[in-house]
Amino acid sequence: MVNAIKGLFISCDIPMAQFIVNLNNSMPPSEKFIVHMLDSTHIFVQPHVAEMIRSKIAEFRDQNSYEKPA
Amino acid sequence: MPQVRIVPKNFMDLVAALPAAKLDKLYDSVFICEAVLRSLPPLAKKYVLQMLFIDFPVTAKSMEEWVLADGLSKHKVAIDRLLQLRVIHEVSESGTLPREPMPPNVTVRLPTLEDLEVYAHQQWECFLLQLINSSQAERLTSFSSSTMRVFQRGLLSSRENEAPKLTENGFQFLLMDTNAQLWYIIREYISTSEDRGVDPTDLISFLLELSFHTLGEAYNLNTLTDVQRNAIKDLADLGLVKLQQGRKESWFIPTKLATNLSVSLTDSSSRKEGFVVVETNFRMYAYSTSRLHSEILRLFSRIEYQLPNLIVGAITKESLYNAFENGITAEQIVSFLQQNAHPRVAEKIPTVPENVTDQIRLWETDRNRVEMIPSHLYEDFPSKDLFEACCDFAREYNCLLWEDSKKMRLIVRGEFHQQMRDFLRRPKQ
Repeated sequence: MVNAIKGLFISCDIPMAQFIVNLNNSMPPSEKFIVHMLDSTHIFVQPHVAEMIRSKIAEFRDQNSYEKPA
Repeated sequence: MPQVRIVPKNFMDLVAALPAAKLDKLYDSVFICEAVLRSLPPLAKKYVLQMLFIDFPVTAKSMEEWVLADGLSKHKVAIDRLLQLRVIHEVSESGTLPREPMPPNVTVRLPTLEDLEVYAHQQWECFLLQLINSSQAERLTSFSSSTMRVFQRGLLSSRENEAPKLTENGFQFLLMDTNAQLWYIIREYISTSEDRGVDPTDLISFLLELSFHTLGEAYNLNTLTDVQRNAIKDLADLGLVKLQQGRKESWFIPTKLATNLSVSLTDSSSRKEGFVVVETNFRMYAYSTSRLHSEILRLFSRIEYQLPNLIVGAITKESLYNAFENGITAEQIVSFLQQNAHPRVAEKIPTVPENVTDQIRLWETDRNRVEMIPSHLYEDFPSKDLFEACCDFAREYNCLLWEDSKKMRLIVRGEFHQQMRDFLRRPKQ
């Protein structure tokens, strides 16, 4: 019988995909969220991690920022 | 001309007493027309023949001028008869205003056009400043706080115990040009007028009437109805008119903002002078003294110095990220910079350097590097045909996100899951 899994379809560029894979690998086994790695730019993950991925990407982006003191 | 009356006088009275539609229909016949013409008093006959060859309406005043002074009563009789018989219609003049500008001997010291411009600008800015941040306005307008709240409704969101914060719409409102902002405020004003007990249609017709007044001319306040008088006070706060008090009378003077009301939104003939210069090193120089401009620039750039006539700032990644968090798009920022470019750089092509505009857009897309779509994955198909059938079904509805024929996996959009389930549960043909 056909199996249906609910999740999130992510499409991004290759560096971001690798970032997400890295994030996944750094999680303890109970919290890994990648269901399937489809190809180098598409990933299928569990639905609850959307916000977490977004905030991690924002954090990563902010590491490159320097705010000149006013 | 023989004064032959073919029909007795009372028949014409009968005709005159017919309802308007029937009378008009009667005039389709040539004989009726001639009969009516013959029955008219001589002066009326003369008028009809004279106006036969004139295409546009003749004013009643000029018709009176055709008559000598002692013939005025005959003139009145003739006109009445003509109106009764619906030979002539009264057409209301659409072109004249209900009031004339005041004579110059009463209104001494009218403000010049530049003064008026400055006044309108000041009032409008004060109003806008109060709108977005009441603590910063130097002078409060006389709008009650409830009316201000109404205007702020779509633009600011206030939670309790916190100062009201600008919403996304609020930012976009600030970056629009003056005409668009004016129309938004006027629309809000009109739509809430019912709550204040003012008929919106009255208000709309008054505003449109106002837009046809001459810029810079003074009009007496006593020609306004009470409703209009209340509205005028509000409009003075917005900068649409300037109120002035003479010794005996008071008058109002429409400013450019009022006369522009009837101009369409896309007309850019009233473009004010720009003040922003953007350099290729991302520095920005704004030649302006206005607090409002400084606030707007603070929305998306980092202000470094504020000099008496100059605001120096820089467009940085952090300041732009701030703006994007608040809902402003890169397009809005770029178009604001282009529309308000200082005349010295306005002729250059492009007005804003391309490296700056490209970088602003790149920084915006940088925030959206990852696209996430809620979806469902289907695997473990018993047969390839079923897999193909499902793929085609999903493709029809444009919901197919991914298919992998080797592993027989299918990903469709989340909304489509129910339909897909039903499709799979159907008995196979």
